[in-house]
Amino acid sequence: MKLTGDPVIDSRNAMDRGRPEDRLLWAYRGGLAAMRRGQFAEAKPLFDEAVTRLNGLLGRDRGARKARSAFYRESKKTFFGEPYERVMAFYYRGILYWMDGEPDNARACFRSAALADSDVEHNAFESDYVLLDYLDGLATSKLGGDGKDALQRAMRSPRIARPPAYDTNANVLVFLEFGTGPTKQAGGEYGEQLQIRPGVSAAQSARIRVAQYDVEVAPYDDLNFQATTRGGRVMDKILAGKANFKRATDTIGDAAVISGAVVAGTTRHNDEAALGLIAAGLLSKIFSAVTKPEADTRAWDNLPLFLTVASLQLPPGQHAVSITFLDAAHRPVPALEKAFQITVPADRRDKVIFVSDQSSTPQTL
Amino acid sequence: MNRSLTLSFALPLGFSALLLGCSSGGVQNPKGIPVTQMNADERGFVAGTGVESQDLVAVTDKMARSILGVRQIASASVAPKIILEPVVNESRFPINKDIFLTSIRTKLNSKSQGKVSFLAREYMAALEKERALKQSGQVTATSDPKAVEFRGADFLLTGKLQGLTTRTKAGTSDYILYSFQLIDARTSEIVWEDSAEIKKQGLEDAAYR
Repeated sequence: MKLTGDPVIDSRNAMDRGRPEDRLLWAYRGGLAAMRRGQFAEAKPLFDEAVTRLNGLLGRDRGARKARSAFYRESKKTFFGEPYERVMAFYYRGILYWMDGEPDNARACFRSAALADSDVEHNAFESDYVLLDYLDGLATSKLGGDGKDALQRAMRSPRIARPPAYDTNANVLVFLEFGTGPTKQAGGEYGEQLQIRPGVSAAQSARIRVAQYDVEVAPYDDLNFQATTRGGRVMDKILAGKANFKRATDTIGDAAVISGAVVAGTTRHNDEAALGLIAAGLLSKIFSAVTKPEADTRAWDNLPLFLTVASLQLPPGQHAVSITFLDAAHRPVPALEKAFQITVPADRRDKVIFVSDQSSTPQTL
Repeated sequence: MNRSLTLSFALPLGFSALLLGCSSGGVQNPKGIPVTQMNADERGFVAGTGVESQDLVAVTDKMARSILGVRQIASASVAPKIILEPVVNESRFPINKDIFLTSIRTKLNSKSQGKVSFLAREYMAALEKERALKQSGQVTATSDPKAVEFRGADFLLTGKLQGLTTRTKAGTSDYILYSFQLIDARTSEIVWEDSAEIKKQGLEDAAYR
């Protein structure tokens, strides 16, 4: 497939003409690329497909069955992503719902995201994203409910920064993200171990300047942490089994071929037995060669590293917003300056702004 | 000699049978599944634990029948006017919030034989524009365009989806409570309320866990 260099167009083309197993991977990549350009109408159907398919990820699946088989790679399965990637698909769709004035559907997405992060293998039904709980409670509070429980969960163990108490009168939400997120690589003798390659970020915080506000916002969530701390996958055990099978058949093959050669060389009347041993050994080697224990390293490779949100109170009308991303010494990273013209609506709907350090700039929202 | 020959064939064949036993079975539906037309109230082969068409049909059928039995509607001398307020979604599934009320409205309109009528408040902007055109004389009017004829509502119909989710090694379980209310617009009294519950469970393939 020919790439155009435009991530949104390439994603669309790959979804239509690429491997069906990779369709969702391209939807994720294309959706996020579109959001960074301010093409939210383009992003919506992509994340809609993602959310619908993630919520229907139950029961038998042909690709998954192949992936569990010794003779197919794990990447034969339909890509849904690891939990940190699934969480982000729900998170972005949630932001888009909030932009459309549907904070309850946004909250539904944040709740599904929290479920996707829960660790069932260790019976630890607990998401540890600060933002998912925080936004769940914020949406609830804005809808007239009680968001205190969710806020308490968000406040329980902030790893980087503690989010503020809810300001239900705030009518502007700024979703910020920066850095390059984690990706995947294969480790182990046969590449059977899925390993996370951590992402990096020059920016460690962001400064928002608009109207009377000049505020620095630190990240609440770190995708490196999320990608590396959730615990093992069931698939890891299956891949370890495949690797053992590959190793064992290889060793048995070696032993049988050598034994056959020894029998043929040392005895005169056992040629057929020797031939049988060598043939069995070669067959075992063939089985070893066709066994595919490689871990699936397909990754949503344009994810950010850090996530945060800020809520502001602004009067209706047009406002110029500038976002400066700051390094660890709180100095601006000049290449990452962003400028937005926003129109705050006069009705009670929230104005939702999505800003990435990779967003195109300037944008009018 | 014969025994040795048998051994030389049997050994690799037996070995291959043993190894093949470890591989997977045949591919299911290698040619895909053609488009299958289903009734909206049927559970299809594509299913999750979320809100699906068969839930919508079951819930809205129950609600429409229940509303027709409300005393204020069944015994009203003039058909009460109802406006729809979008349902509030407290579940973990994003939904099209209008679809439940649209379904209830169409079922009531088709089955109530004029016992209720609905006001098209979502088209107020277009209706006001049309009235303004009539008032300005740009288009014809069959009645006095200055008279206020937009009707006020007698009742407000709304609802809520609430969910409980459990996820363990054994799978994911989603319980959704669909509750709907008819509220007297004059007194704020809830004159009717009914609910439906649906619970679904499932487990994803080990390859995705």
